[in-house]
Amino acid sequence: MSQVSLREVNKIYGEGAGRVHAVQDLNLEIGDGEFVALLGPSGCGKTSTLRMIVGLETITSGDIFFDGRNISRLEPQDRNVAMAFETYALYPNFTVEENLAFPLEVRGVVEATRRSKVREIAEILRISDILGSHPSELSGGQQQRVSLGRALIREPSVFILDEVMSHLDAHLKFRMLFDLKRLHRELKRTMVYVTHDQVEALALADRVAVMSNARMQQVGDRNTLYNRPANVFVADFIGEPPTNFFRARVVADDSRLTLAVEDSDLVLVPDEGTAAALKRSEPKSVIAGIRPQNLNLSDKPVALNARVAINEYLGERSMLTVYNGSIRFRALAPPETRISRGEAVRLGYDPANVMVFDPETELLIS
Amino acid sequence: MNQTVRDSSPSQPAWFRNKRTARPLIVARWVPVALVGLPVAVLLAIVIYPTIWMFYHSLRDTNIQGLFMGSHEYIGFQNYATVIGSDRFQQSLIHLVQYLTFGACLQVLIGTVLALTLYEFVKSNALRTAILIILVLPMMLPPSIVGVLWRFLLTPSNGAVNQALLNIGLIKNHIEWFNAGVSLWSIIIADIWNWVALPLLIVYSGRVSLPPAVYEAARVDGAGQWKVMRRITLPMLKEVIAIAFILRFTDAFKFVDLVYIMTSGGPAQSSELPTYIAFQRGIREFAIGEAAAYAIVIFAISAVIITLFLKYMKRVMKAQGLA
Ligand SMILES: Nc1ncnc2c1ncn2[C@@H]1O[C@H](COP(=O)(O)OP(=O)(O)OP(=O)(O)O)[C@@H](O)[C@H]1O
Ligand SMILES: [Mg+2]
Repeated sequence: MSQVSLREVNKIYGEGAGRVHAVQDLNLEIGDGEFVALLGPSGCGKTSTLRMIVGLETITSGDIFFDGRNISRLEPQDRNVAMAFETYALYPNFTVEENLAFPLEVRGVVEATRRSKVREIAEILRISDILGSHPSELSGGQQQRVSLGRALIREPSVFILDEVMSHLDAHLKFRMLFDLKRLHRELKRTMVYVTHDQVEALALADRVAVMSNARMQQVGDRNTLYNRPANVFVADFIGEPPTNFFRARVVADDSRLTLAVEDSDLVLVPDEGTAAALKRSEPKSVIAGIRPQNLNLSDKPVALNARVAINEYLGERSMLTVYNGSIRFRALAPPETRISRGEAVRLGYDPANVMVFDPETELLIS
Repeated sequence: MNQTVRDSSPSQPAWFRNKRTARPLIVARWVPVALVGLPVAVLLAIVIYPTIWMFYHSLRDTNIQGLFMGSHEYIGFQNYATVIGSDRFQQSLIHLVQYLTFGACLQVLIGTVLALTLYEFVKSNALRTAILIILVLPMMLPPSIVGVLWRFLLTPSNGAVNQALLNIGLIKNHIEWFNAGVSLWSIIIADIWNWVALPLLIVYSGRVSLPPAVYEAARVDGAGQWKVMRRITLPMLKEVIAIAFILRFTDAFKFVDLVYIMTSGGPAQSSELPTYIAFQRGIREFAIGEAAAYAIVIFAISAVIITLFLKYMKRVMKAQGLA
């Protein structure tokens, strides 16, 4: 069990023209036994961060601590971390059983214990029937589960899991997520789980760390990321369908403050807290955002008026793409909604759900 | 039908379509026949025909005169009886086993150790390349030079090897490198020096192509260097090492040059290998029939050994799900 902290960690690959700044000034505190998901688009530096925690990559600058002990310069063997690799990295000359047992073999665990542990973990990962096969005979999803099993069979201070479910079908993934969550609850060990699937991240983790462009954008639980995103990137990245963003002018008179969306006659009304913050910082224009989930066909006191361009049926609900002036945005409606093109709609919202960002720094104003 | 599909396909440029239709079909017909036929013909001429020819004469009392006059008679397996029954052949078989164990096998062993040491302990690329080049140099020398060089180095009275050993104090008297019982060892030493780089290169390239991710996994799993070597690297290199063995073993059966140059099989046939006797009986003493029998026997022995190796490789690959 371990508490992990990364302080001002940087990773730079290569030098000169081929230089890549893969991780930039990254700070992250992970509590003892906490389950943290590292979420971000492809190439943002997630794997690089993990490899530094594990010790497979040198840290260009900054330090990593386990329980307050600086382990930045220790070999992976001496850090007591278990990792499931994005590329599986199974031992090709071993059977699945030998692959799973190898970490135990290294630690001198006796044969009988190894066997029973392997059975146990194979049961959970549903790979009991392929224990005798070699990795080259397995499908991608099977290899991935073996690789996950090889990490989970140990009792390390930290588990590092790099995209361990990307090759599983939705059904299997759902059950495995459930099992992993249960396993974490039983083992009570620190886990860092990398994924670019936000559903996975939000379902599993106590807290989600969102990365983009080599930088940490925000760390927080589901509600924080969803309702109080630190910047435009997080607001855009978290949530499906993505947030509607508008360029808007701040219109303030004595009684109230509103946001007039450019190129349309839409007017957004923020809640009192945000309005107060806007009055303090007095920007001329802002980026306003509101999630499609928070725009509904209902008679709330405040609403956006628009006309329907597309009405898509998405199974559990319908997605309306609407326009006003030259601005297009999205809203969600119940699945049985019958609205045709060109029809005028009134999309009600709660002022508390209006997010406002600084147009230059793209940071949340609140 | 096909034609229209092809013509309408935008992925083929116009010049290609024109070429296809302009070229007479007859070209396409004899090209594959020629491509397969020529190599087969060459193979027949230089491998199959001589082998059959040799087997034919191994059953006859052919000598050089009879060969040219066309006068030789069928004598059944008498040549084989002579070969297998002779002390000379039986002695040479013992020499062959000695050469295979301490020549070929030791070369593969030393080559493997050198290759893996080079890979694990020399991290600078420039240094690695330099060392590889130096180690490979002996392999580029023609056998005649190697033979003469080592005869010179091993000269008992004032050869460099004896001088060096005396100076270090490892020996008190000169070693008589070309006496009976020692001369075969001299040949083996020269051959190791000459060929150790071949298994080294093979194993080194095998090691280079092993996936680095597996080694990262092993480090994270906590395995030490020795454990990784024993449980992962060597098992993964099994096939490659088997190939090195096969190459050195096949060479062992045509190993004549150094024997001829360094000792001529002597003294008193004490460093003869079967192939050398075949060469001696056929080319020097013109007993064509007997030499042919030698060749067939050697062929049979090598075929058995190589088949065993291939069987082993197949088993290894099957065990890893590769075949
Ligand atoms: N060994 C390396 N040498 C040079 N550049 C590298 C190396 N490894 C990664 N990079 C670069 O660093 C950046 C971050 O890579 P990283 O693998 O950490 O991304 P990631 O977030 O894990 O992406 P993905 O979700 O696709 O796995 C990328 O631009 C990549 O090209
Ligand atoms: Mg990655």
